[in-house]
Formats: sequence, C-alpha cells, structure tokens
Amino acid sequence: MAPVKLANVRKSFGAVEIIQGVDVDIVDGEFLVLVGPSGCGKSTLLRMIAGLESISSGEIAIGDRVVNDLEPKFRDIAMVFQNYALYPHMTVERNMGFSLEHRGHSKSEIAERVQWAAQILDLAKLLDRYPRQLSGGQRQRVAMGRAIVRNPQVFLFDEPLSNLDAKLRVVMRAEIKSLHQRLGVTTVYVTHDQVEAMTMADRIVVMNGGKVEQIGTPLELYDRPANRFVAGFIGSPAMNFLPGTITRAGFEAGGVTLPLPGPIAERDGQDAVYGIRPEHLALDGEGLEAEVLLVEPMGSETQVTLRLAGQQMIAVFRERISARPGETIRLRPDVAAAHLFDAASGARLN
Amino acid sequence: MNGELSPRMKVVVYGLMSVLLIPFVFPTWWMVTSSIKPISDIFAFPPEIVPSRLDLSTYAKVFELQPFAQQYWNSAYIAAVVTVGTMLFSSMAGYAFARIRFPFANTLFMIVLLGLLIPSEVTIVPLFRIFLSWGMVNTHWPLILVPIFGAPSVFATFVMRQYFIALPVELEEAARVDGLGRFKIFRTIALPLARPALGAVGIFTFLHSWNLYLEPIVFLSSPEKFTLPQALTQFTDAYGGAMWNIQLAAATMTAIPVLIVFIVAQKQFIEGLAHTGLKG
Amino acid sequence: MAPATSPTGSDHTGSRRRPFWTMERRDALAGYLFIAPQLIGITIFVLIPLCLVFWFSLHEWNVLAARFTYTGAANYKALLSDPGLGEVFGATAIFSLGLVVLNMSLALLLAVLLSQKLTGITVFRTLFFSPVVVSLVAWTIVWSFLLQKNGGLNAILQVFGLEGSNWLRDPTTAMISVIVVQVFKNVGLNMILFLAALQGVPKELYEAARVDGVSPFKQFRRITVPLISPTILLTSIITIVGSLQVFAQIAVLTQGGPGMSTTVLVYYLYQQAFQFHRFGYGSTLSIVLFVIVAVLTFVQWQMRKRIVFYER
Ligand SMILES: Nc1ncnc2c1ncn2[C@@H]1O[C@H](COP(=O)(O)OP(=O)(O)OP(=O)(O)O)[C@@H](O)[C@H]1O
Ligand SMILES: [Mg+2]
Repeated sequence: MAPVKLANVRKSFGAVEIIQGVDVDIVDGEFLVLVGPSGCGKSTLLRMIAGLESISSGEIAIGDRVVNDLEPKFRDIAMVFQNYALYPHMTVERNMGFSLEHRGHSKSEIAERVQWAAQILDLAKLLDRYPRQLSGGQRQRVAMGRAIVRNPQVFLFDEPLSNLDAKLRVVMRAEIKSLHQRLGVTTVYVTHDQVEAMTMADRIVVMNGGKVEQIGTPLELYDRPANRFVAGFIGSPAMNFLPGTITRAGFEAGGVTLPLPGPIAERDGQDAVYGIRPEHLALDGEGLEAEVLLVEPMGSETQVTLRLAGQQMIAVFRERISARPGETIRLRPDVAAAHLFDAASGARLN
Repeated sequence: MNGELSPRMKVVVYGLMSVLLIPFVFPTWWMVTSSIKPISDIFAFPPEIVPSRLDLSTYAKVFELQPFAQQYWNSAYIAAVVTVGTMLFSSMAGYAFARIRFPFANTLFMIVLLGLLIPSEVTIVPLFRIFLSWGMVNTHWPLILVPIFGAPSVFATFVMRQYFIALPVELEEAARVDGLGRFKIFRTIALPLARPALGAVGIFTFLHSWNLYLEPIVFLSSPEKFTLPQALTQFTDAYGGAMWNIQLAAATMTAIPVLIVFIVAQKQFIEGLAHTGLKG
Repeated sequence: MAPATSPTGSDHTGSRRRPFWTMERRDALAGYLFIAPQLIGITIFVLIPLCLVFWFSLHEWNVLAARFTYTGAANYKALLSDPGLGEVFGATAIFSLGLVVLNMSLALLLAVLLSQKLTGITVFRTLFFSPVVVSLVAWTIVWSFLLQKNGGLNAILQVFGLEGSNWLRDPTTAMISVIVVQVFKNVGLNMILFLAALQGVPKELYEAARVDGVSPFKQFRRITVPLISPTILLTSIITIVGSLQVFAQIAVLTQGGPGMSTTVLVYYLYQQAFQFHRFGYGSTLSIVLFVIVAVLTFVQWQMRKRIVFYER
C-alpha cells in the first residue's frame, strides 16, 4: 500500500499531446476512479502509472519513489486488463503464480499465495482449467487473482467489467469493491461508465481531452460540478442545460424567467447556462409551461421528455404521470439545486 | 462453398476428383511398386499395376553402389539444423519487427524483405567464390548457412511477423507487469502462442532443405558428402543410363518416411499452412 | 512489499536527470539484438553476394588458374550477341507462363471441389496435397521413368489403343511434360491457400446472393473471386517467382533438351558458370534473373491496387 502522486504529467505521441498536464494525489489505500469520454486519455494515464507507456514530462511517484524510468516490474503494481489478458497456454494456477515465478519465490510460497487468492476469489475448483474453459466472470476473477497474489502496492484496472453482461457487471462491481475493503490496497480504476464510477469510487477524477476537469468524491461531483462538462458527464439521465442571460429579475431564457440560485446580481447581463438535473424538476400548478414529447414509465419512476423554454429536457418523477405527448404540464425547478455555468468557459458561477 | 449439393452433383464431384487424383497418386504408387518388382518386370507389357512377383534385392544394391546411409544422414541432419536455425532466427526477427519499437525498424524490415527478391540462384556464383575462399567447398556449411539466412528464411520471418502482429498485445503487457523482460516474454509468451505459425515454418523449411538440389551439386563433389537428391541421380550404369529399379528404390526410401509423417500429421500440416497469415 | 530496488534515486525535485538507458532505449536495444542474427546473415549471404554479382559480371574468373581479370563490359556484349539467349528467354517465358496459368487454374478448381461439404473430403485433400511432401528429385525421377519411350504412361496408353510419344525427347512435348510434372508436384500448396481463402468468405454473402437469385457461376465471379483476390495475387507472385527458380526438374528430366527447348534461365546460368566455367558470364545471367524477378514482383505489387478489391 502506498500513495501515488502525479505531478504535471504529460504524454505526447509524436506531435499530439494526449495527456496535457495531470496533477493527482492519490491517498494511501484510496479507491480512485478515472472517468471520461472515449479517447480522453484514461488508459494512457493508467498505463503510464503502470510503466507500459513512457512519461514525456512530469513525475509519477509511487510511495516515496519516483518511478518515471522504472520498468513495470520494479514499480510493484498489478494491472487488470479489459480483455483480462490471461495467458491462454497456461492453467489458472500457473496464470496466477506466473509473476511470482519470475520474482524468485519458492514453489511452496507460490502455491500458498495462489491458494490464498483462489480462496478469496472462489477459484479453488478452477485451478487446473485453461482460460478458454472459463466463463467471462470466472476469467475476470482469475485476472483479479493474478493481481492480488503479489500483494502489490497499487492495483490498476482498465475497464475490467466492460466485457461482461449487465447483470454480471453489477455482481463483479460489488466483488471488486469488497476486495478493496478487505485488502485496502491503493486502487486506480478506469471506466467510462459513470454508474461504476459513482458506486465504487472514494474519489473520482473526471478527465476530458487529456486534462483533469475535476477531482472529488462522487457526491461532490454530483452536487457541485466544477464546470459544465462535469455536470453533463456525471448523472444519468444527464443534467438539462438552458442557455440564456443573467438579469436582475432572474435567468432569462426562451421567453421565461427562472429564479437564480444564490446572489449573483453583479453578473447582470452575462450570458450563461442554467443547469438543472431531471429529478429537480417538480410538478407544480404555478410552474413553467412545458410540452410533453415522450413519456417513459420505468416502474419505480417515470421519465418524461419535454420542451421547456424552447429547449428539449428530461424530467424524472418518482410519482406516476398520466400526461400524454402533446399535452402541457407545469414544472418548477428546485432553485437550491440549480447550477449556473459561464456560457463561454463553462466554469461554475454559483 | 455454399449449401448442400444435390445427389447428382455429388456423384459428379466425386467422379471429377477421382479422375483428377490419378496423376497425383499414381506416380508414388508406381515408384514404390516398381522398386519391388524384379528388373525384368518393370517395363513389362501390359504394365503391372500391382506387382506379381517381389524382388527386394535392389534395396541392398542401393547401399552397395553409394554410401546411401551416410547420404541419408547428411540430408537429415542438414535439414534439421536448417529448420531449427530458421525457426529460431526468423521468429526472433519476426517478433522484433512485429512488436518492438526501434529506430529504422521499417527501413531494416524493407532490407530484410529484399531477400525475397534474391533467390540463391541469383547469387550462386559469388556464394561459390565466398565459400571457396573460406575453404568450405565440399563441406555442408553452404547448405546450412545459405538457407538459414537466404530467401526462405526471409519468407519465414514475414510469416512469423504477420502472426505475432495478430496476437493480442495485452498478453505481453501483462507479462511485463508480471516482471518479465523482452527475452522472457518472447520465450514464454509469444513463442508458445505462435506454435501454429512456427510449425508451418518448420515444415516448409524442412522440405526446402530436403529438396535442395542446385546448391549440393554446385558445392559438393565427394559421394560421402552428398545429400539425397543429389545421390538419387547417381545410380547410373557405365553408359550413363539410369538403373531404374535401383533409382526407384532409393527414391522410395527418400520419399516414403516424409510421406508417412505427413499422413500421420496431415491436419497440423495443412492447417498450419492454411492459417499462417499467408493471406497478405 | 517485494524488495524492489530503484536504479534511479528519488531526488524528487523537478530537475531530475533522466538516465541514458530509458525504457525505450533498452527496448530498442532488445529489438536490435533480436534482428541481429538475421540481419547479419542476410548481409553476408544475400546482400554482399548480390553486390558481388555485379562486380563479377565485369570480370572473368579462371578458377583453375586462380586468375580474376577485369574485362569491362565484355560479358554484357557477349550477352547481347549470345545466339542461345533468345531460346533461353523463350523457354523461360513458356515455362513460367504455362506453369502459372495451369497451376493457378487447377489449384482454384481443386479448392472449389474440396470446399464442398462431402464425406471423405479430407482424404481427397490429403492425397491432392501429398506430392508437395514427396522429395522433389524422387518425384521427378518417377515421372522421368513414367515418361520414357517404353515407360508406364505409353504402356497404359497402348492398353487403350493409343500411341504415345517419346515425351521427354520430343521438342513439342518436352516442355509440356516438364510443366505438367511441376504442376502436379506443387499445386497442392496453392490449393490449400485457396481453400483457406474460400472458407474465409462469409457464408451470409452466398445466402444473400441466393435470396437475390444470383446464379452459382455469377456468385463465383462476383463474390468469390473478388473476396479471395488478395490470395490470388499473393499465390501468383509466389508461383511465378518460384517458377523462375526451377532447376532440379530440368536437370533430371531433360537436361535442358532436346536442343535447348527446355533450357530455362537458371539452368542456362548453371551450365555457363559451373559446367563451362564461365563465371563472369554466369554472373551476368544472374543479374538478368535478378532484374526479371524484381520487375515481376514490382509489377504484381502495383497490380495489387487494381486487382485486389478487398483486403483484410
Ligand atoms: N500508441 C499511440 N500512438 C498514438 N496515439 C495514441 C496511442 N495510444 C493512444 N493514442 C491516442 O491517445 C488518445 C487517448 O487514448 P486512450 O486509449 O488513453 O483513451 P481512453 O480514454 O482510454 O479511451 P477509451 O475509453 O476508448 O478506452 C486517443 O486519441 C488515442 O488515439
Ligand atoms: Mg481505454
């Protein structure tokens, strides 16, 4: 177990800078999740921590060692790959013990560690099988077993669940989480699934285009996104955005005026974007008029697509709604939970 | 190709294949059967498709007229050395060109590929001079060194590279994280996974060496150094006429062991060839 | 946990100096070491000899007298005025063309037949392929035996009341015989490559074509051929370059005869250099061979763009 420190880390492939200066302090024992849209550089950053990609500039330290020029094998990390990368020509047992073989451990020691890991991951019956004889979930567990036998300082996961079906993904999510609680090893976990990020992380790093947009606990990111990108990325269905202007009377957009969240009068006349999450729109006879476009009942809640102030939005209600497409309903945004972003920079204003 | 054939078409296909098969199979049959007929029967009319009398004494004559056992050993060990050497060097080079990033990799690969354009027939005269100056004429060195590094090995390198490119790179990254260096990754991960390609390369390198003819007759002059292909043509009478039955007996001994190995392992043989990235 | 030692210190100020042996450099070194044996071998046994061929073609080399004399363009003048060369080119062209056409069409036919779903098809596949693994000289000797005037082929023909010819001694049949012997020997290779390519064509394409009412012949022309065209191109390159190297078959079957009717370039080169000891002239012929191989490969590579409709 060790903290991991990234200081102004950059990576270029040729002339293109893929990682554009990332600073993150990962606390000892923390479960840190890297999220971001496809191609934003999550995998690249993770692989730089692993030592599979070189670092163009900046520093990565694991514990109190700068590891920039260390081979992966000296970094004391373990990695779980998206497609598991199990060695097809070795049994489960050999797959799990392979790294120990190459670190000069004795046979009995290896067997003991493998047994221990197999116990934890419920793999004891599968040790003699080859990867092709395993189901997707079992392969996933072997991949984790391979990581934990070594008792490394840091676990690195690159979208480990994306090859599993939805149900199994939920199961494995819980399993990884409980494994982390049990072993307490510092973990960096890459995903582009924000549900995974929200449910598993101690802290989330939201990345976009090679830069960090925000770092924080799941609820911090959800409740106070630092900018419009994070606001739109975290949460499903995504936050609604309404472009308009800040005035003394409130937020004016598409012919309606919304109450402003907090005192920001000095920004009079500034172009801004009003953000409101789908669950923060409530039915209210006095509220704003909205035209219903689509109603999707999910059982526990109802999702309604509607047009409000000329903008398409989504609202989610806990109660059941009888509205039909074409009808008009009245909605009131929860001002306390509203967000205001600068129109140009996207930075949070309130 | 598509769907089931109608019964009538099936008969047509079977018939056509059986007729086409004759020139592929009959020569081998004729070789074996003629070699065990008494000399008086081999030109008999009507031809004896199945021999009526046996005479195995020709097989003894093969060994009397030539140091045939020695020649057999020569061919076998040369082919073995060439095969192992080619498999080793070609898989190493193919791996590096497929996986390792190093400056001038593309240029160097182009230079290696140039070897495909230069069959040893083109360079045979200077090769002769080079080996002459090294005192290696009438030794087996040319038959070992030229194939291990010439056009056939370049082809092998190309095949291996194609195969390595198609292997998932994550396996090797996992091995790096597991603590292996390049050479160990190659030996314990990449090479075992490239077994099919390696098998095909081995088979064809072996056959190429086993069939080599120009190089032996250029480089070798004493019968105890000869390889089999060269030896087979030496069974002639005082007037240079072929001693057919003896030649056929020697040919049979040359061909049949490989043929048997092939029939036993034909699945690996053919599928190895078919799967070996020869698709471009 | 593991006692990993760090070769770089941990002076974690911004001005850390990078060691010379970075991960990239170490890996690059490994790369060079991996290719070194082959690269060195190719240099010594292929590239240097290739340069020497050019050098030799400007000389005459008398092995017995150990004399190596500069003769300038004499060998090239000899080449241009060589009365036999026309025949040699003719024979080479006929042999290569005949071989490629026959080999490719027979290979394709066999592959289509073998791609049918029939019981016992692998037995046929094995048998069609078997000559590939029969020792080349053994195979050639049997055919030589079969094609004698009083050999097996004529005897069989006579049984059916037909009269054969002296296949290998008759100028009109000698070349055909040599080509046919070679085709049967090696067609199995291309057959297997075509077979693999045919099996790689997605079944749905044929099903879709059948639904659209496309006739089997049109399916073959419009679906099969375009999709296996990379294989066709590749095998044709291999086959044509291989055909230029044919030597043992000629040496055993006809020794280039009758006359010079089967004297292909490699055989002529061998005769000139190693039987008549004209090493300089042999080198000049080597260059001709090299140029032909290079031009053919280049042309076919260019054709790739036009012929190949589909690549993996
Ligand atoms: N070896 C490479 N050479 C050049 N560009 C690369 C290389 N590897 C990655 N990239 C580029 O770097 C960017 C980031 O890639 P990366 O794989 O880190 O994305 P990611 O965030 O993991 O995306 P995903 O969610 O799709 O996995 C991409 O635009 C990719 O094209
Ligand atoms: Mg990724």
